[in-house]
Amino acid sequence: MLKITDLKARVAGKDILKGVNLEVRAGEVHAVMGPNGSGKSTLAQVLAGREDYEVTGGSVTFEGLDLLSLPAEERARAGLFLGFQYPVEIPGVNNVYLLKAALNAKRKAAGEPEVDAYEFLTLIRHKMKFMQMSESFLTRGVNEGFSGGEKKRNEVLQMLVLEPKLAILDETDSGLDIDALKVVSAGVNTLRDAKRAIVLVTHYQRLLDYIVPDQVHVLSGGLIMKSGDSSLAHELERRGYDWVLESQVA
Amino acid sequence: MNPALRSFAAQWQTRSADALSPVRAQAMERFLKLGLPTTRDETWRYTNLRSLAAQSFVDAPRKTRGEIEPNASLSLLDKTDRAASLLMVNGYPTMPVVDGLISGMEIYSLREVARLDPNTLLRFLEPLSDADQRRWALLNTALFVDGLYLKITSRVPMPLVILHVATGDGADNIAYPRIIIEATPGSSATIIEHHVAQGDHTPLCNSNTHIALRHDAQLEHYRVFATGADATHLDSLDIRQDKDSHCKQFTIVLGGGLVRTALEAHLDKPGASLDSHSLLVGHEDRHVDCVNIVTHGAPDTRSDQTARAIASDSSRVIFNSKVIVDAGAVHAESKQSCRGLLLSPTAEIDTRPQLEIHADEVKCAHGATTGRLDPDMLFYMLSRGLDRATAQSLLVYAFLADVLTGMSVTSARQAIEDALIAQLPDSMTLRNFR
Repeated sequence: MLKITDLKARVAGKDILKGVNLEVRAGEVHAVMGPNGSGKSTLAQVLAGREDYEVTGGSVTFEGLDLLSLPAEERARAGLFLGFQYPVEIPGVNNVYLLKAALNAKRKAAGEPEVDAYEFLTLIRHKMKFMQMSESFLTRGVNEGFSGGEKKRNEVLQMLVLEPKLAILDETDSGLDIDALKVVSAGVNTLRDAKRAIVLVTHYQRLLDYIVPDQVHVLSGGLIMKSGDSSLAHELERRGYDWVLESQVA
Repeated sequence: MNPALRSFAAQWQTRSADALSPVRAQAMERFLKLGLPTTRDETWRYTNLRSLAAQSFVDAPRKTRGEIEPNASLSLLDKTDRAASLLMVNGYPTMPVVDGLISGMEIYSLREVARLDPNTLLRFLEPLSDADQRRWALLNTALFVDGLYLKITSRVPMPLVILHVATGDGADNIAYPRIIIEATPGSSATIIEHHVAQGDHTPLCNSNTHIALRHDAQLEHYRVFATGADATHLDSLDIRQDKDSHCKQFTIVLGGGLVRTALEAHLDKPGASLDSHSLLVGHEDRHVDCVNIVTHGAPDTRSDQTARAIASDSSRVIFNSKVIVDAGAVHAESKQSCRGLLLSPTAEIDTRPQLEIHADEVKCAHGATTGRLDPDMLFYMLSRGLDRATAQSLLVYAFLADVLTGMSVTSARQAIEDALIAQLPDSMTLRNFR
């Protein structure tokens, strides 16, 4: 589904990704872990199409498409979703309006008719209930005045409504208390099936107790230093990132 | 003396004497002595009137109601259902103005009041001021021929729309619309002044509105400028507020080649409060200059100014606001918030919030920011699959929402939104958001 080959990227004149290789197949959940500043978020943003992040080398294919040649909106319509680490507040743009516009953009790209207003509201109420979000989210501006946890729930809500083929969740677990973490994880797990894939970008192993990954990668210094199964996450939790870095040097 | 001043002096010679003549003569004398404001004057530093000074002006013609064709440019009137309306053409009320037209409001022509009860009018014309932001008001006082005096006597349930139509016979016409609104104690009303133009020649418009709110009176006032690219409009609005009165004011600039709006508010008595909202939209190569000066003259007064400026193409938008807290105006509260949005690299927005505080124990806040569309917000929406034009339009719309949502006359708000959206890039997309 996703194949990243020797991906290099630069942010504000600084090389951040220095040749990332990663392959994610349909049905898989991958965790990308790593210390702060390792390039995890840059990887997520580059995949989603952020323009001020300059790709300086390598290639990415997504469902056979040359992902890097597409603007962000076309990547989204092709089925890629980024759950932001810091979802931006957009006062004055209604939360539900954005979601509906997003769903319709995706449907339009797929040659489907626009969603019926009533059907949409029913769908969103159902998903909101699952995410344990209050009705007030319907009337508020995008992420406006949301707490950190509410913003993350809103990201997952958007993901559930848009049903992407590939979801990249950037530190979706950070800032969540244990109850919120369970809700968010349950949301992510409902999306898990043979046709979809999920990439979890995270600093801590905690999330991976709830969403068990098929593969775990350690990103450090802009390179994938080590890959393994879910037990790698536990090992990292026990031994720290330094262990991976030191074992590489050795 | 430049050609413009000479022509104003000539107009003065043609005016017939009335009970206001002594005050008018003083105003004329002072205007001629001070001359047109220049960019050296504090509130005019961004607006150059040199080309105007080189022209000679004659009075715009008086026209009857039948000569005005209702058309699309009057949409605010059409859509504001359940509203009463008055039509002014080039500053002249067009209908026989009769009392009792609107429940809770007495309506007089200024000409009539000047004849029957000049002292009432004089209270609103004086004191004259040499301040540069009041320069055109001086000329208006000297030269207005007629206008409206609205006396609000109780709670007026429906909004009143005053449609100002500017329509000239030639390129050198000038009009002096004058409105005086007095809200008696405990009364309330909503008044919408809508300036439009008709025909090939739009007169230079030097308009003035004076609002006096007595004890506990409430007024929601709109001035909407929607003339064409050839129009020059110099408007001044004076607000005087008594104890516990509240004024909610909207200044909406949607059109005009050069539009200058001045607002001067005096919160003269304790408990007076003012909410001022400005929505300034520049496009093409238009020039919009808005100046607000709010004086807190008594304790426990409150003012809140919100301005949103948008400039696209090669337009220029200026928003200057000043809050003065007089000595003794303890516990005054003021807020000034101005945000500017630049939609093209050749557009310009200048904002300058100022504070002058002479009292202790006051709460005054001000902020001004100008920028382009927020790239993080834009990326967020793109990453959800919205196309770029839609995402940009949504952000522009969101930017304006603060001011629009404060409008309590729904139909006027919709008409204003429609007109506003029509002037923004991607207007077709923006229409879908409502």
